[in-house]
Amino acid sequence: MLERMLRRIRREIDRRRLSDPQWQRMFEEDASGEVVSIDCETTGFDLRKDEIIYVSAIRVAGNRILTSSAFNALIRPESATMRADAIRVHQLRAVDVEAGRPMSEVLPELLDFIGGRPVVGYWIDYDVSMLDRCARRAFGFRLPNRRIEVSELYYELKYRKAPQGTRIDLSFNAIARDLGLRELPAHDAFNDALSAAEMYVQLTDMKARGRTIPRDRGADVATAIAH
Amino acid sequence: MPRAFDTSTAPFDRLTADERAELLAALDIGYFHPGQKILEKGAPADHLHIVLKGAVEEYDDEGHLIAVLGPKQIFGIRAVVHGAAGANYQASEESLVYLVPRDVLLSLIRRNHEFAVFFYTDISSKLAEVARTEKSGQGIEGVLRSRIRDARLRAPTFIDAGDSIEEAERRMSETESNSLMVRDGSRIGIVTRTNLSKAAIFSKLPLSTPVGDCTSWTLISVDENGFVFDALITMTRHNKRRLAVTRDGETVGVLEDIDILGLFAGNSQLIPGRIDRARNLDDLAVAARDIQSQVERLHRQGVKVREIASLTSDLNRLLFAKLFDLLAPPSIREVGCLFVMGSEGRGEQTVRTDQDNGLLLAQPVPEADLTRFRADFQQALADFGFPPCPGNIMVSNPMWSQTLDDFEDQLRRWVMTPDPESPMYLGIFYDAVAVAGDAELIARAKDRFLALMTGETAAIAHFAKAIDQFPGPGGVISSIMATVGREEPIDLKKSGTFPIVHGIRSLAIEKGLTETSTFERIDRIAETGLFDEAFARDLAAAFGWFMGLRLQSQLRAQLAGTTEGESLVRASDLTTLDRDLMRDGLRVVKRFREIVRNHFKLGMF
Repeated sequence: MLERMLRRIRREIDRRRLSDPQWQRMFEEDASGEVVSIDCETTGFDLRKDEIIYVSAIRVAGNRILTSSAFNALIRPESATMRADAIRVHQLRAVDVEAGRPMSEVLPELLDFIGGRPVVGYWIDYDVSMLDRCARRAFGFRLPNRRIEVSELYYELKYRKAPQGTRIDLSFNAIARDLGLRELPAHDAFNDALSAAEMYVQLTDMKARGRTIPRDRGADVATAIAH
Repeated sequence: MPRAFDTSTAPFDRLTADERAELLAALDIGYFHPGQKILEKGAPADHLHIVLKGAVEEYDDEGHLIAVLGPKQIFGIRAVVHGAAGANYQASEESLVYLVPRDVLLSLIRRNHEFAVFFYTDISSKLAEVARTEKSGQGIEGVLRSRIRDARLRAPTFIDAGDSIEEAERRMSETESNSLMVRDGSRIGIVTRTNLSKAAIFSKLPLSTPVGDCTSWTLISVDENGFVFDALITMTRHNKRRLAVTRDGETVGVLEDIDILGLFAGNSQLIPGRIDRARNLDDLAVAARDIQSQVERLHRQGVKVREIASLTSDLNRLLFAKLFDLLAPPSIREVGCLFVMGSEGRGEQTVRTDQDNGLLLAQPVPEADLTRFRADFQQALADFGFPPCPGNIMVSNPMWSQTLDDFEDQLRRWVMTPDPESPMYLGIFYDAVAVAGDAELIARAKDRFLALMTGETAAIAHFAKAIDQFPGPGGVISSIMATVGREEPIDLKKSGTFPIVHGIRSLAIEKGLTETSTFERIDRIAETGLFDEAFARDLAAAFGWFMGLRLQSQLRAQLAGTTEGESLVRASDLTTLDRDLMRDGLRVVKRFREIVRNHFKLGMF
C-alpha cells in the first residue's frame, strides 16, 4: 500500500519535471484497455549495478495477444560484466550480447511501444525497476505506468479466502500448472512475456466471470484443465 | 512470433524455412472463455485457427456435437479460405488459439502447392496428397507406384509360329533373351527357353517342329500406362512369370517377374508357384504361412492396404483351390463348387480374422464322402492358421455345404421369413466368390438371390437396417477428439468399415450388382447417380483409410499375441494428422449412413 502511494507521488514529481513533452502520453493511461506484457533478461540480479541485455514486450488487446507485433531487442551492456549465475539462467553469453544494440537506442523505441498502457508481468516490479533506472538516467523519469502483477491476480483467485496457515505457492510453474498452460522453455524473455500475457488474459477473464481456482485439489484441476 | 508453435506437423511441415518464419511472424494468439463462440457456421473469418491449449467444440446446425478439438488441431479452414465456416465453433474450456491472418495464409497457399493441397475440402484429395508426400521416393511404394512403361522392359522379339524350334533357339541366343513372342495370324503367344527344352528333351520332338506347337497361347497383357503394382497382381493372379506390355493394343515389350523381383522383399509372385507345386498338406501349410507373413512385410514397405488385401485374397483363393484339389474326392470335385464369402469374398481380408466358406453341389453326393471332406477341409484350414468362423459359416456346417436346390430353398426362407441371423447370412453370401469347381453354381445361386430381392423393398430395407446395429458416430466423434484421460477407444470395424461395407452391400443388392469388392460396388453405385462421384471418392478413400488403420492395429495386436481389441484405437495413439483424417473419415461415414437411411426410409422401421 505504502509503496503504491510512494509510487504515485514519484509519478507526480516526474511528470512535473518532464523536460521532453513526447513522453507526456506515458503519464495518461491509454483508454484502449490494452496492456503490455514485459520481460527482461539481465547481466545479474543486482538492481543497482546490473543491466538489461534482452527485453521483450507483447501487447494484449482485449482477448488477443498480439505476438505478431511483439517488441524484441538484444542489448549490449555498457559497463556491467556478465555474471556466471545469470548466464546460467538466460544462457546469453558475453559474445551473444556483443551483437546487441545500445540501450540508448532501444529505450526510446520501447517506451514508445509501451505508451500509456499498463504493464503486465510475473515479478513485474523487478523488470520495471531495471527499466526505471535507464529511463531516469536518459529522460529523467521512472516508468509511470500502472503495474499488473500476474501472481497477484492468481493469489486473488486462489488464496484470497484461504484459511490461516495455507501453504501459498505463487511460483511461475504453479500458476502455469493451474491454468493448464504448456511449458515453454523458461528464461527466454519472449517466452516469459508470452506466458505472462497468457496468464493475464485467462486470470482477468476468470475474475470477470467470478471464477476461482480451487486450492486443495490443485493438481487435479490442472489435469482437468490441461488434460 | 511464438517460437513454441510447432511447424513439424502437417501441413506446416511443407513450408520452406522462409515461409515458416513468415508464418510465425504473423501469428497472434486469441483467448476464449468457456462457452464463447469463436466461429459461426456460414460466417467468414479473418484468421485460420489452431488450438494452442484448451478445447474447442464443433457443432452442426441442430446443435449436435460433431467433434472436440484439442491442441494442434486446425479449424475454420472453410471460413478463411472459402468465406463461410462449415460448422459452429465454441470454446468448451479456457482456450488459447493461434490466429493465422487470412492474407498470410492465402499468400502461402498461392505460393506453396503442397501446403495448399492440405486445404482442399474433400478427404480423397487430402489423403492422396498425404500419401504422395509421405511415401514418394521412399522404399518400395515409390517403385510400385511407378508406371509399367518406366520399368525395365525387354523389347519383344517376334517369330512366326511356323518357324522351327531350332530357329527359335537361334533367335534367343542372338537376342540374349529367354523368351520370344510367337505370331500366328492375329494371335500372339509366348515361348520360353524352358518350353523349348521340354519339347526337345522330354517330348523328344524333332528340332524341325514348328515353334507354335510348344507355345503358350494364354499370353496375358497389361497396358504400359498401368502401375507396376497392377502388373504384379496380374502375375500373381494368373500365375505367370511374364506379361506382354501393350501400347494402344500393340505389344511393345515383355515384363518379367525378375525385373520387379529384385525390388521386393515380398516376392509374392513366388507363392503361387509354391501353391501350385504343393503335393501334400505340409507343402501347402508352408505357402499359407508365407501369405500371412507377407502381409506384415508389405505393410512395412508402405504398400497400400487395398493392394495388400487384393493380393492376399488372390493368394488365399489359390490356396483354397489347391486344398480342394488335394482333399475333395472325385464325387465332390465333379459336381461341387467351393466358394469364399464375407471379407474374403470382397477381397478385403488381410490379417486372418475368420473364415467364411461354403460348398455348393449340382447334385447329391455320397454322404460318407461329404462328411469326410467337411472334416478334412476344416482341419486343414485350422492347421494353416485360419481361425474358425465364430458364426460357423464354414464348409463343415451342413447349412453351408448342400445341393444348389436345397440352398435355394434356404435362401428363400432367409428372404421371406427372416430370423435375426438371416440378414447376416444373406450379406455374407452376397459377397461370395467361387474359388474351385463349377463357378456356374454360385452364379446361379446369386441370380436366384437377387431375383428374390428384386422389388422387395421391405426385405432390402430390413437387410439394410443392420447399419444401425452399432451406435451412430455422434458420441463417437467427440470421444475421439477428447484427449488423454477421458477418451473412449474407437472401434474401427463398428464405426468405420462395417457401416460402409453393409450400406454399400444393401445398395448393391437393390441395384442387382454382381461385383463383390466394396470399392467396385461404390463405383457402380455412383454410376447410377445415387450419390455423386466426389462422394464416391470420399467414401472409397475413407474406407481404404479405415482398413489401413485397422491393419496396423491388427498387426500390433498380432505382435502382442492377442486378437482382443484388434479393431480398437485410441486417439492418443494417433498422430495429429491421423486424428484429423479420422475426423474426416467418420464424417463421411455419418453422411453415408444418412444417405442409406433416407434411401431405404429406415426411419419408418
